[in-house]
Amino acid sequence: MRPIVGITSYVEPASWGVWTEQEAVLVRRSYVDAVKAAGGRAVLLPPDDLDGDVVGALDALIIAGGADISPELYGERPGPLTVSNPERDRAEWVLLREALADGLPVLGICRGMQLLAVAHGGRLHQHLPDVVGTDKHRPAPGVYGSHGVTLSPDSLAAAVVGDGPDDDGHVEVNTYHHQAVADPGTLAVTARADDGVVEAVEDPAKPYVLGVQWHPEEAGDLRIFEALVAAARSSHGVPVPRPRMAQGGQPTTVRTGQAAPPAHERAAHRRGRAHRGTRVATGIHKTANRAGRGARGGRPPTIV
Amino acid sequence: MSRPVIGLTTYAEEARFGLNDTFAAVLPLAYVQAVHNSGGRAVLITPDTPDVDVLDGLDGILFTGGSDVDPALYGEEPHPTTHVKPERDAAEMLLMRAALEADLPTLAICRGMQLMAVVYGGRLHQHLPDVLGHDNHRPVSGPKFGIHPVELAQGSLAHAVLGDAVEVNSFHHQGVADPGKLTATGWCPEDNLIEVVEDPALRFAIGVQWHPEDTTDHRLFAALTAAARGAA
Repeated sequence: MRPIVGITSYVEPASWGVWTEQEAVLVRRSYVDAVKAAGGRAVLLPPDDLDGDVVGALDALIIAGGADISPELYGERPGPLTVSNPERDRAEWVLLREALADGLPVLGICRGMQLLAVAHGGRLHQHLPDVVGTDKHRPAPGVYGSHGVTLSPDSLAAAVVGDGPDDDGHVEVNTYHHQAVADPGTLAVTARADDGVVEAVEDPAKPYVLGVQWHPEEAGDLRIFEALVAAARSSHGVPVPRPRMAQGGQPTTVRTGQAAPPAHERAAHRRGRAHRGTRVATGIHKTANRAGRGARGGRPPTIV
Repeated sequence: MSRPVIGLTTYAEEARFGLNDTFAAVLPLAYVQAVHNSGGRAVLITPDTPDVDVLDGLDGILFTGGSDVDPALYGEEPHPTTHVKPERDAAEMLLMRAALEADLPTLAICRGMQLMAVVYGGRLHQHLPDVLGHDNHRPVSGPKFGIHPVELAQGSLAHAVLGDAVEVNSFHHQGVADPGKLTATGWCPEDNLIEVVEDPALRFAIGVQWHPEDTTDHRLFAALTAAARGAA
């Protein structure tokens, strides 16, 4: 039984086959292929912010790359070069919140890593060249850059990326972003670029909550995906009914710490999602309002 | 109560979007909006073999439009105008057989309906203008859709959802020649082409030749979602 890995997706005008400029839901197929090659079964999650119930049908979640995160979510006004997609922000916020509360393994890639940081109370640099003085993290439109990163020993990032060719925790990665994590919030920074830019964040208290700033799906590096699928198999939290969770409250999740339950039990778990405990229905709308207040007088709230 | 999760089969194609020109998993947004507007939660299923594990998390499934079904699957040579995607055929045949076996509520649209007929032992007309002498089901010169009536059989699932007749939007150059073990329950009165097929032995298994997702009439999606909710 392959774990089901949900991948968030874009909505954009696209042209394919006989279709031109058709409003479509899509992701680069490299994400899907990486999940499949790593032994998972990918499904795409179109943006939808009504609730996060679909997480009950998943064993792991990937927040994919894409547009800039709305700066309102970390209490700032948009800079002149910030282009965000509020619909995706709202939808992914709801999904991420539900996935973290349910103890699902989560991988954030590029924009997904930035969302993870913001969701944990962090904030972003809105235009990296203003901070580091170069555009090497996004050399030109549609062109990936390449640079070295140094991984923290004993981190999940190091465990899934390896020690590099010289066994010194230094690896070369591809890169395509103009924003970056300024403050990881409650997450740990476990990789930095040679110029100090944050390249990986993770939650050391969780089996697999990891964000990377680069694009392993394009590089053909399957280890990050294999580790995600392994985590989906082995550490799927069993959700228990929980009282309504306050903003900033701790999710209630019981970890079995055992091998993956038999397929029929996991099926029962998925089927049983309609009977799970009270959900936290608070969406990003309310949070965004608070973030607006936060801009004037304090930090916006975190979702975990 | 949770919304039923509806799986939507998805294209894997070379696509251009933004600055990208790449292989993508892609589906017209209209399908997703139709499901969400009808109380379901859409997830997109990319072509994938060899197993059907993904059905486990679904309460219903929607087989979407797309390329022609490979005529080899019903024992014919391809017509010069026939364009196939064997990867999608193989994955969707597998999924559809398993979904029907599990009595999972199933709605099939356009190519999906044709695939359903083939799964039930039927076969297709490979190029309707050769058979019907007109291109009303996919006009060569715009607008995009051909518009025509469909009449529905009394006592059918289609009739229960849509009534005696509907005006529909068509965009297909192939059609169902033989529905196999399915029951045909809707026809275009202008040329008697089969427009609806269903399996009355299952709770909800219906295919339509037109594109309800591109209209404001989402009754078929509401019916699928209602059937899926019963399964949840």
